[in-house]
Amino acid sequence: MEDHEFERLLKVARLKLTDVEKERIKADIEEVIGYFDSLDQVESGEEPAYHPIRVPARLRKDEVVEFTDIDALKRQAKLHDGYILGPKL
Amino acid sequence: MKIGLEVHVALPTKSKLFCSCSMADTDEPNSQICPICLGFPGAKPMLNEAAVSSALGIAAALHCNINKEISFVRKVYFYPDLPKCYQITQMEGAIGSRGYLEIEGKEVRIRRVQIEEDPAQIVREGMLTLLDFNRSGTPLVEIVTEPDITTEEELRAFIANLRSILYYLGVDINKEIKADLNISLAEVRVEVKNVTGIKSLIEATRFEIERQAEAIKNGEEIARETRGYNEKNKLTESLREKETDEEYGYIYDPDLTTFEINGIEHAKAVYITEVSQRLTEGTDVDPKTIKEMTMLDRRALGLINKFNGKYKLRSVVHGMQRFQKYAGNLNAADHKIEKSIALAEKGVAITKEMIQDIAEGKEVKVKYEKVGNAELDDMIKKFLDKNPKVLEEYRRNKKTANLVIGIIAKESNLHPKDVARRVNQVLSAY
Amino acid sequence: MRSFVNEFLKLEKPKGYYEELVSEISMLNKEYHAFTNINSKMIDCAEGSIPFSSKANICVKGFETTAGSKMLKGYIPPFDATAVERMLGSGSFSFLGETNMDEFGFGTFGLNTETPARNAFGREYVAGGSSSGAAVATALLKYHVALSESTGGSISTPAALNGVVGFTPTYGTISRYGLIDYANSLDKIGVMARSSGDARIAFDIVRGKDRYDTTCSVEKINGNKKTKLFVVKELMEKTEKRVKASFSSLLDKLSSDYEIREISSEILSKSIAPYYIIAMAEASTNLAKYDGYKYGLQYEGYNKRYNDFFTEARSSFGDEAKRRIILGTFIRSESVKAKYYTKALRIRALIIKEMSRILHEGFIISPTIPIPTPKISEAASLTPLENYAIDIFTIPPNIGGFPHITFPYGYMDGMPLGAQVITEQANDYAVLDFVSDWEEEFEYRYKHDVGSL
Repeated sequence: MEDHEFERLLKVARLKLTDVEKERIKADIEEVIGYFDSLDQVESGEEPAYHPIRVPARLRKDEVVEFTDIDALKRQAKLHDGYILGPKL
Repeated sequence: MKIGLEVHVALPTKSKLFCSCSMADTDEPNSQICPICLGFPGAKPMLNEAAVSSALGIAAALHCNINKEISFVRKVYFYPDLPKCYQITQMEGAIGSRGYLEIEGKEVRIRRVQIEEDPAQIVREGMLTLLDFNRSGTPLVEIVTEPDITTEEELRAFIANLRSILYYLGVDINKEIKADLNISLAEVRVEVKNVTGIKSLIEATRFEIERQAEAIKNGEEIARETRGYNEKNKLTESLREKETDEEYGYIYDPDLTTFEINGIEHAKAVYITEVSQRLTEGTDVDPKTIKEMTMLDRRALGLINKFNGKYKLRSVVHGMQRFQKYAGNLNAADHKIEKSIALAEKGVAITKEMIQDIAEGKEVKVKYEKVGNAELDDMIKKFLDKNPKVLEEYRRNKKTANLVIGIIAKESNLHPKDVARRVNQVLSAY
Repeated sequence: MRSFVNEFLKLEKPKGYYEELVSEISMLNKEYHAFTNINSKMIDCAEGSIPFSSKANICVKGFETTAGSKMLKGYIPPFDATAVERMLGSGSFSFLGETNMDEFGFGTFGLNTETPARNAFGREYVAGGSSSGAAVATALLKYHVALSESTGGSISTPAALNGVVGFTPTYGTISRYGLIDYANSLDKIGVMARSSGDARIAFDIVRGKDRYDTTCSVEKINGNKKTKLFVVKELMEKTEKRVKASFSSLLDKLSSDYEIREISSEILSKSIAPYYIIAMAEASTNLAKYDGYKYGLQYEGYNKRYNDFFTEARSSFGDEAKRRIILGTFIRSESVKAKYYTKALRIRALIIKEMSRILHEGFIISPTIPIPTPKISEAASLTPLENYAIDIFTIPPNIGGFPHITFPYGYMDGMPLGAQVITEQANDYAVLDFVSDWEEEFEYRYKHDVGSL
């Protein structure tokens, strides 16, 4: 894997690594991808199996049920006038 | 010039797309939230049947191919308003594809109609980013067109027709319409993201067309970029940071499944352009009149359909227009509107007083419902006897007849045309 | 049928029993790190309640739930996972605490977390992963069942290494609502216990449709007994000699009741790559949401713009999580998605087809892991790929969502040996019955019996 491709992946995934980590993790990843390439030798004409079982369609009726403990949700974050504080744009 | 649109429309459901939180209007931030629309660890989505039904109605109305089975994908990107840092949306398994919407004389192709969830609302307060998750999880459809729109007029017509179709499916997009535009005068495609409201959409397009035209005129190169619309200054501006490396990395959302669409009922589309054509065929009524009256008014269309035939279409239209004008709206019982239509049919010049009487349920006083020539001649003669100078005036200037017609018509509640029928004859013979 | 739960219900409990239990397990936990968090309120539980634990990726309302990750430090779920709600609602069970695990379930040995759990049979040995704590807790406590979770072998492996029964049901049988996602199309809540009977009791309480999980859809469970046991040649080839020898002796014992046959299946030995591709692709989307301000870790860098904020906050992921996020992001890239992700899904379909055919005829049996229990120091020196290869027996049933169970069948140098039996989808009772039969002839051994009466 080219260095710039590795850097692109880090950027897309919002991860940063030290130079030492980069060297180690990139080597691991290259080894694993090399192993994944062994799939090329397996033929499959099957449709993709998104789940192991057939998951039947189940839809929810359009009914309002209020969540009972909204404070417990908001408590997890920082609040400002009832708004949840997010990072700067 | 080519313009393509991605229009986002909120669907009229009681609860959110994947959870049971209320969609009602509220001023209190973060008051209609739960672990699912906040994307808490462990929460899972459950698809709202009404949202699917509503989206299905829209896809069908836009003549799309309806996918027998729909599925959802995760679109991964990082932004503070996106609780899971992926949006649940649709790709290949979108509810509709390859449709069209007809505007005057042409079809604008629809590439795709897809269901997706709305992110949270961001409120900026100084440097602070404040998040209100009440909006998070609102069911949306995104309508993606091919770049088939070529003028501002076509854009207006597209939006007007789309709005009418959506209106009849129970979706009002007046304020809520959110769209991304792509506009290319030359080869290069410029995107304008997150334009809100119909007015802004037109203004942003106009600005962008002028900007690109100006650049071409000056021999400048147009950058392939994403721009935002500044509502306050009415201009588009380059977005500061373009993540060229950004990749959404779509995958099938494994928390959901593939849903069969068979058996889900949906509302039927109403195409006002066609309806107006059909109604006015063989009449002297301009289809545009019907279209304008009914595009965003289900009640008006209902009344026209109800009374057309029993009365002449012209009378129906005229009676309704008078009622609308003097009463301010058509929110009255059918039999009251019918009274106004009946007056029009009789050729009565409908006055504000008459509509008020109808609205209040009083008897409408019409002196002459239908006057014969003899009766009309008498009225004119009586008027001349009272105003002898008029005759002298008429002999000098034939246009004085118009004055006579106006006064008599007003006093007698007759239609001026009716009065005109005899005035010249009586005047010249007197 | 042996059941410690039923035995417990019949026995008289001395006064102060639960206080003693909590204090004793808390003491032992300092050595074994089975629990990340012990519920001190358990001492006030209803008379006769049986303790149950849940893996730290299963949400318990009001109780810190971290999935073994620094990213979720301080996260207090505002709701119970459906499985937890049903356990509590049964009236027989009380919540004892959350059990240790590899961060987000990423690991074979339980080492990918701040303070790894230690093997109940020898603290210098690995506990197995990712449900390390659940297995150790089950090996420490006499009357207890553990709700745990498997994506690619996270129940079987630690259960085998700690000499307990580990049951992984058919995909979609137990609601995942409240389970912190690793890979949604592979994650399955299951049960560890000291007997197949206890696993079955808990399984019947928690399973069944849930209006909060679309994928939870398997309602009817069968128990069709099979008389054939298949041993897959290609998988056995990757097994260490001594493990092979012990396993042969198990087959000898079973041969009086079952017809044992060696079969060949090339595709089953190819399941590791597609499994990890699917798991990493899904995991990398699930882990996007951890960005340092909504819950759990509070990064606080509000002077930084959002992209830098996220990137800094996400430094708190462990190495294996970072590797899987990067690999998952790579796999999802438009340019290679068809080559890896879509291909892996197609191969999964092939594996399911092949296994369904085989499992219709009989059970598949194998050792649970192909090597003897490694010491922590030995396991720590393995590369990621060597780690993944250890999952050779557990991945086929997991990628295909087939119910399977692991059970202790012997002891080697004082360490337990585990074997795994797989059956058809929705035939879960059959493997529970298989182990129940085994338990009539084989007594499991433990070093600790906390809470014994």
